[in-house]
Formats: sequence, structure tokens, C-alpha cells
Amino acid sequence: MTKSDNLARIIIGCKAGSAESFSQLVDIYASRFYGYFYRLTGDKVVSDDLLSELFVKLVAKISSYKGGSFESWLFKISSNIFHDYLRGKQRRRKLLEVRKRQLESRITEVKKSDSERVDKLQIQLEKLDTDTRELVMLRFYSQLSLKEVAKIRSEPIGTTLSKLHRGLKRLRELMER
Amino acid sequence: MNGENKENLKELFAKFLSVEQAERAVEDVQKAERILGEHPAPAPDDALIADVKSEIAEAILPRQVNVFRRTAYKTAVVAAAAIVIAAISVRLLDIGGGKHERVTYASIPEALWDSDDISADDVELAIFTAEIEQIEGEVLTLQLGENGGNGQAAVAELEMELIEISSNFWER
Repeated sequence: MTKSDNLARIIIGCKAGSAESFSQLVDIYASRFYGYFYRLTGDKVVSDDLLSELFVKLVAKISSYKGGSFESWLFKISSNIFHDYLRGKQRRRKLLEVRKRQLESRITEVKKSDSERVDKLQIQLEKLDTDTRELVMLRFYSQLSLKEVAKIRSEPIGTTLSKLHRGLKRLRELMER
Repeated sequence: MNGENKENLKELFAKFLSVEQAERAVEDVQKAERILGEHPAPAPDDALIADVKSEIAEAILPRQVNVFRRTAYKTAVVAAAAIVIAAISVRLLDIGGGKHERVTYASIPEALWDSDDISADDVELAIFTAEIEQIEGEVLTLQLGENGGNGQAAVAELEMELIEISSNFWER
């Protein structure tokens, strides 16, 4: 049985509501999507939440998957989850302005605990703007072609290519310093 | 990690850049992606994976209940439709058939129920009763040993005769 046949069989199982099939999908994709979320957020706790959210959404949305690249479909959902997280973060930031002093101390604590695990790449990645960082991670973790990446991002391939080149070049420079 | 999508890069860049620039761009991308590969992100904890799986199981449960409910509703609708169709069909056949036929219980001889001649039936009944009484008397005589010969065989023969007469009566 080929890899794609096996995946197709698992997806059929998921559509039939088999917990075992969903469990197999978790085993296949958890590491990749966790890496994707972690590199975007730099936060293990947030990545845990986003990964859980992804798979719970998968259960709800699996019936709407009508074929095509499953990974592309899954990364589209992941990208939306990340954007929702960003929007939530912005809302939280506005709240922060209101209760600045109270919350600032808490955030510092959270950052301190997380910084224990932050590696060099993570530090440099955070110097890229969010959109570029997302593109670089989408390309790297999804293993999709640039055409598919551009489709997920709903932008022309030339734009995707140019942003990706600039982002990776900058990252390389930062890492080689 | 992404070896599958490298081959189209040069061609893609060449659409927007000169050949030299495209080559340099491909080099930038490949080097940066190598750096990314050399710095793997942390893996999810086993506990997280277990939590995700249990969350999935919880999320599936209401879905399965809904599927069961939907199936039950569909079955009920189909059953109701079948009953309505059957009822309509019976009614239509009834109207088309015209004359009603009496339903009789198979094991009861129809002749008995159809008979309108009560006096004739009574005569037959009286004859059978007399025959039975006569045979019963003979059986009693034989059992008491008042008659000579093979008593047991004669009793068995008479009993068979009695059963036959009794059956014939109900078959009429």
C-alpha cells in the first residue's frame, strides 16, 4: 500500500467517524504542525493549544474535505488558526493598555519561563515580520510547492516567491552573524 | 525537509529574475532552508498527544450521536412511508376485489362451518356418538377378560378404530 493510499484510507476512516483513524492522523502530522506553530509563536503553551485546536477543527471539518492535497487543506486550516490567534493576541494587547501594570508583570513571567527553551533560530525568526515568518514556516513545514503555498495565501506566485526569497535571505544573514 | 519542492525553484525564479539572479536566489533559499533543517523545533510532548487524542474522542462522540439520530429519523420516516403505502395498497385491492371472502381457520374443516343443515349434522353426530359408545363397550369387555382370544391385540385394534372414527368426524 502506497503512502497516499494509506492516507486516503485513513481519511475515509475519519469521515466515518473512526477515532482510530483520527489518532493515526495525529501520529502522522502532530510533530510537523507543532513545529509550524512553535516557530510562529515561539511559545510551547500556545503551540500546545493551537495544535489541539487544529485537530478538534479537523474533526468538525473533515466532511468538507472534498479531495485534492490533504496537506494543503490542513495547512490552510492551520494558517487560519494562527491568524485567529494573532487577532486574539491583538485584542489581548488592547486589554493590556487598559490594565497595563497588572498584566505586564504576568506576561514577563510567562516570557521568562518560555525563554528557557528558546533556541538561536527562534530568536532570529522573531526578528522577521509575522507575515514573512509565516510564509517561511508554511513553506518549510508544509513541503508544498510554491504554487500551492501561494494558493493557500491567496496571492500571486511572484509575490510569494519574492517574499520568501527576501525572508530566507534575511534569516540566513541573521543566523550567520 | 522540503526536498520535494526544490526542483521547480530555479525555473520559477527565472520567470522573474535574470539567470544569474535566479541562481543566487535559489542558493539563498537552499542555504536558509538548510539552516532551518539544522534547527528542529521541539517535538510535542507525549502527554499533549494523548490529550489531543482524547479531545478528538470527545469531539467525535456528539457527531456519532447525531449520525445515529439522523439514521433513526430516516428509518422512522421510511417505515412510516412503507406503512402508509401498504395501507393504501390494501385499501385499493379491497375496492378492486369487490366481494369479501370470509377468513377461516385452516385447521377447522370448512364444511363444518358452511353447513346450514343442522338436523343432518345432528343425525351424523348421533351416529358417531353411538359408534363410539359401542366401541367403548367392546373395549371395556375385552379389558375385563369377558371375551376369549388375544385380548391386548383386540384392544389396540379397537383403539385405532376409535381414533379413526374420531378423526373422520372432525374432517367432515
